[in-house]
Amino acid sequence: MTIRARLTLWYFGLMFLSLLAMGALSYYKFVAQPRGRAQRGQETAAELADDTDDFTQISHIVFWCGLPAAGLALGGGWWLTRKALAPVAALTRAAERVNEQSLRGQLPRSGSGDELDRLTEVFNAMTARLDGSFQRVREFTLHASHELKTPLTILRGELEIALREEKNGAPPPPARLLSQIDEIDRLTKIVDGLTLLTKADAGQIALHLEPVRLDDLVRESFADAGILAQPSGIRVHLYACQELTIQGDRHCLRQLLLNLTDNSIKHNQPNGTVTISLERAGEMAQLQISNTGAGLAPELQPRVFERFFRGDPSHNRDVEGCGLGLSIAQWIATAHGGAIQFDSQPGKLTTLVVRLPLRPGN
Amino acid sequence: MRVLVVEDERKTASFIRSALQAEQITADLCHNGPDALRSAMGFSYDAIVLDIMLPGQNGLSVLRQLREQRNPAPVLLLSARGEVDDRVEGLNLGADDYLPKPFVIAELVARLRALVRRGNDPKPQLLRVADLTLDTVTRQARRGQTSFDLAAREYRLLEFLMRSAGRVCGRMTILEKVWDYHFDPGTNIVDVYVRRLREKIDADFATKLLHTVRGAGYVLREEK
Repeated sequence: MTIRARLTLWYFGLMFLSLLAMGALSYYKFVAQPRGRAQRGQETAAELADDTDDFTQISHIVFWCGLPAAGLALGGGWWLTRKALAPVAALTRAAERVNEQSLRGQLPRSGSGDELDRLTEVFNAMTARLDGSFQRVREFTLHASHELKTPLTILRGELEIALREEKNGAPPPPARLLSQIDEIDRLTKIVDGLTLLTKADAGQIALHLEPVRLDDLVRESFADAGILAQPSGIRVHLYACQELTIQGDRHCLRQLLLNLTDNSIKHNQPNGTVTISLERAGEMAQLQISNTGAGLAPELQPRVFERFFRGDPSHNRDVEGCGLGLSIAQWIATAHGGAIQFDSQPGKLTTLVVRLPLRPGN
Repeated sequence: MRVLVVEDERKTASFIRSALQAEQITADLCHNGPDALRSAMGFSYDAIVLDIMLPGQNGLSVLRQLREQRNPAPVLLLSARGEVDDRVEGLNLGADDYLPKPFVIAELVARLRALVRRGNDPKPQLLRVADLTLDTVTRQARRGQTSFDLAAREYRLLEFLMRSAGRVCGRMTILEKVWDYHFDPGTNIVDVYVRRLREKIDADFATKLLHTVRGAGYVLREEK
């Protein structure tokens, strides 16, 4: 029951009771008291009967006048509470619009200085503080990833030059030096991924939307996946590939597809299979990529799209990757007005499902 | 050969200079847009390396002004990876090439040399490296008397490597030019394709043409 309905009912009840009390009081004052005085004098039986009639009459008047009055009070109360609670409803609607993306949106204040105005003020101050800290985190990550790029460029370049100088001399560069370059490349990947996600958070990435034949992209990444999977003996199947066009950013969609197929290959078992299918599901294009890897325990599944999340608690380094692939895939899916879902039955089948809205008139 | 390097990060700039010097290329350094424009007017450089992210006047507007002043020096843009829009705009403004950061030094040198050498470079129909030939019209690859069947992607990879024959091609560059990926996909897809290509063009021949440059990428050339 809403506050408004509860208050109205209380109001109705109180009104009714007070009217009853008023009726009882006036009965006592105007009927019972004069009769008591009369009883002390001499009274006839007829007068007594008259009094009883008075009582019935008055209680009738009280009841039949009280009821419409209470009804009026009900209506009035309904109106009154609506008027009193309207600012709360407006506040709720405005607060609903405020979320992580639009924390900057401040609620309008009435300026009357009443309780609700105070509440709005406090709420605004709180969201402003939250917005500030979100902003600082974003800026920090953006600056950090930018600042990291320069030393990485220099580090890589210096190493490269050192390696080349050694090549002119006799001894070949030690494997340790070469593995350093690999590690620098890996760091660069992480920094790139972080930059992308931070920019996406800050809404700084504009998608270049155009009609894209999703089935073409799927076939293309199917071909790449087949070749990537060969060394570990994994077979890749294209189960279905319906002709579907969506409004999307070609580069981002290719990245999404590659991230997902790559993920399915890396987390698979040797000689496993990867199944890809693209089908229409209502007004959405539905892409499913399944693999026969070890999967993920149910309690860990909700965290699979978190940044740097790894299913393996020991952060298994055998599985290459920067831990940002699925986060990026999720961003791309939502930026296209779609969604991505992870479903895993450990030991059996792990499936990633992406739904993207079709182009109108597809 | 003398080039102008415009890069606001002093450490990066001086490191580029020392790397170029090792290749007998003289490099002059500038750290901001106005200085770069002044230097470019004062000397006719063989090439200009221009960072897009500059404080104050950004690299693209420097480029626009250079071209307005009819400066003919070829320009190689340095941009952060993923900034596809900047690059496209840069190429439209008259840049000749671009390289995403962080870049491979060997590649920067190779690109610069190619830019300087490139006059009016017509795209030949028949590409040739040693006894390996690739017909870009019939898409036929041959080595000696043997001809190979190439899948679409293998053909594009081979065409790219042959067009840049003798130059080191970094993995990121190959991903961008052959796959059109403007991001690091975090896979070893380039290496896998290179391995397949090698099996076809190199495995049965004594002279190997497709070489790995450790820590940098790949190069197609006849080793002397």
